[in-house]
Amino acid sequence: MRTYVLQNVSQPNLLENIFPYSLPPLIKFEGKIQETIDGKTVEFDPNEVKTRDIHITDTTFRDGQQARPPYKKEHMVKLYEMMSRLGGPNGVIRQSEFFLYTKNDRETIDACRSLNLRFPEITGWIRANKGDFRLVKEMGLKETGMLTSSSDYHIFHKQNQTRQQAMDQYVEVVEAALEAGIRPRCHLEDITRADLPGFVFPFVQRLERLTENQPAHMKVKIRLCDTMGFGLSYPNAAEPRSIPKLIWRLRNECGISPDRLEWHGHNDFHKVHINGASAWIYGLNALNGTLFGFGERCGNPPLEGAIVEYIALKGSLSGINLSVITEMVQYYEKVIGTHLPTNYPFVGKDFNTTRAGIHAGGLRKFEQIYNIFDTTALLNRPPRVSITDKSGTDGIALWVNEFLGLKGDERLSITKVAKIQRWVMDQYEKEGRMSSITDEELEEQVKTNLQDYYEKHRRN
Amino acid sequence: MTRREIAQQVVKITARELNMNAADIKETDNFAMELGADSLKSIELVAAFEEEFEVSVIEEEALKVQSVGSAIDFFDKLLNKQ
Repeated sequence: MRTYVLQNVSQPNLLENIFPYSLPPLIKFEGKIQETIDGKTVEFDPNEVKTRDIHITDTTFRDGQQARPPYKKEHMVKLYEMMSRLGGPNGVIRQSEFFLYTKNDRETIDACRSLNLRFPEITGWIRANKGDFRLVKEMGLKETGMLTSSSDYHIFHKQNQTRQQAMDQYVEVVEAALEAGIRPRCHLEDITRADLPGFVFPFVQRLERLTENQPAHMKVKIRLCDTMGFGLSYPNAAEPRSIPKLIWRLRNECGISPDRLEWHGHNDFHKVHINGASAWIYGLNALNGTLFGFGERCGNPPLEGAIVEYIALKGSLSGINLSVITEMVQYYEKVIGTHLPTNYPFVGKDFNTTRAGIHAGGLRKFEQIYNIFDTTALLNRPPRVSITDKSGTDGIALWVNEFLGLKGDERLSITKVAKIQRWVMDQYEKEGRMSSITDEELEEQVKTNLQDYYEKHRRN
Repeated sequence: MTRREIAQQVVKITARELNMNAADIKETDNFAMELGADSLKSIELVAAFEEEFEVSVIEEEALKVQSVGSAIDFFDKLLNKQ
């Protein structure tokens, strides 16, 4: 057994090479990942992700809109503009797909294009129907996604087709796209429940032959749609649920390069984000997501989660403006009227709010103890404390100092806020209160008990 | 202020804050163990001492004070050093 000896250091080791605080915690790898495929060991180098052109594609206005009341045109235009600022000039958010079927869909695309933003590029989404190319062409789009369901659940039980009929129909639509000069992006629905060697790989190989003489910008793209969230990121999980095996075979046996592979997940088993991030690691470039994870049933990979993951993997902001996420959530709440769960990571009202007094104490002494990264600088969201009977005098001091904007030596100690804490405790112990103390109530307490400070720091 | 005057004030404030008779409070009494001051009461006591003696204390140092006698010593040192 190895013996570890206590190193009684004089200075704390805050592991800042992994937890820089000025960025989300960095994701570092120390070796290759091994996977068994057909009885042989294959290796994935996770560090490859640091140099590969990984990016995010958006489906907020397609899949994201299928799961909620429709957005108004002005909502989509504003969100599109914010998405462009969020992803930055390097196009970390590379593309966004739109419906084309209604007049409102098409007017929205026109309005978004009139903003003349380089990223995200607008692409379309159509059913596998040749006639629908008229819409794509009329809108002047260069790329469109098309539904090409790949499991027998869909082929036999939804489409009432044989595999051959399904494949022939899909190929016919892809050919129509190529003839129209539109890049096809095949959405292989339900791929994690499909017969991979019996349908998916023959179909993909046929698509590859179809575009082998096409220029790079016209080669078919493959979207791996984990429609029911069955995908698994674990090494050596069995097919068809294995994400690493699926990507490996598409790259190595079907010849699809990483820039033409995209992951589209669903959250039915709480795996949506990690499956998407793992797909990046295992060798594809595009992760498809939606703002705040809105999407069919349990939702899609949250775009803001993917953005933070991108920074953690790349080790830099790469032009991303994270604070736009906060603007977006405020826009959803104030203009669109959609409220997110308060504990939703990065955006929920309480994502960096602590309620426990012992945590508030830590936060007051050294913010980094209980804040995930510099949320003030990156997200424009300072850590907060919610006041209840559990938040303690430390919690009150933290709240009051934030409220009064006091910094450094100006900050009030717990003895200065003891009267407010007594009032809070009386609310619960004597009045039988069951709810949190509101900001408005606390402000009244500051006015009453810290009148001089209130006059000096808050009156104006 | 002499140590005796400080001691009188400390005992008076302690009795008021903890709702006790001053005569029952001894210098050897521990605020938490003998006098029953919980964590909030301890903070309120320090706040009351600060107000009475018109000083600001470093909270970590003040909260280390465990007994009535050590509180008297703490404020004696603080006030008579100035």
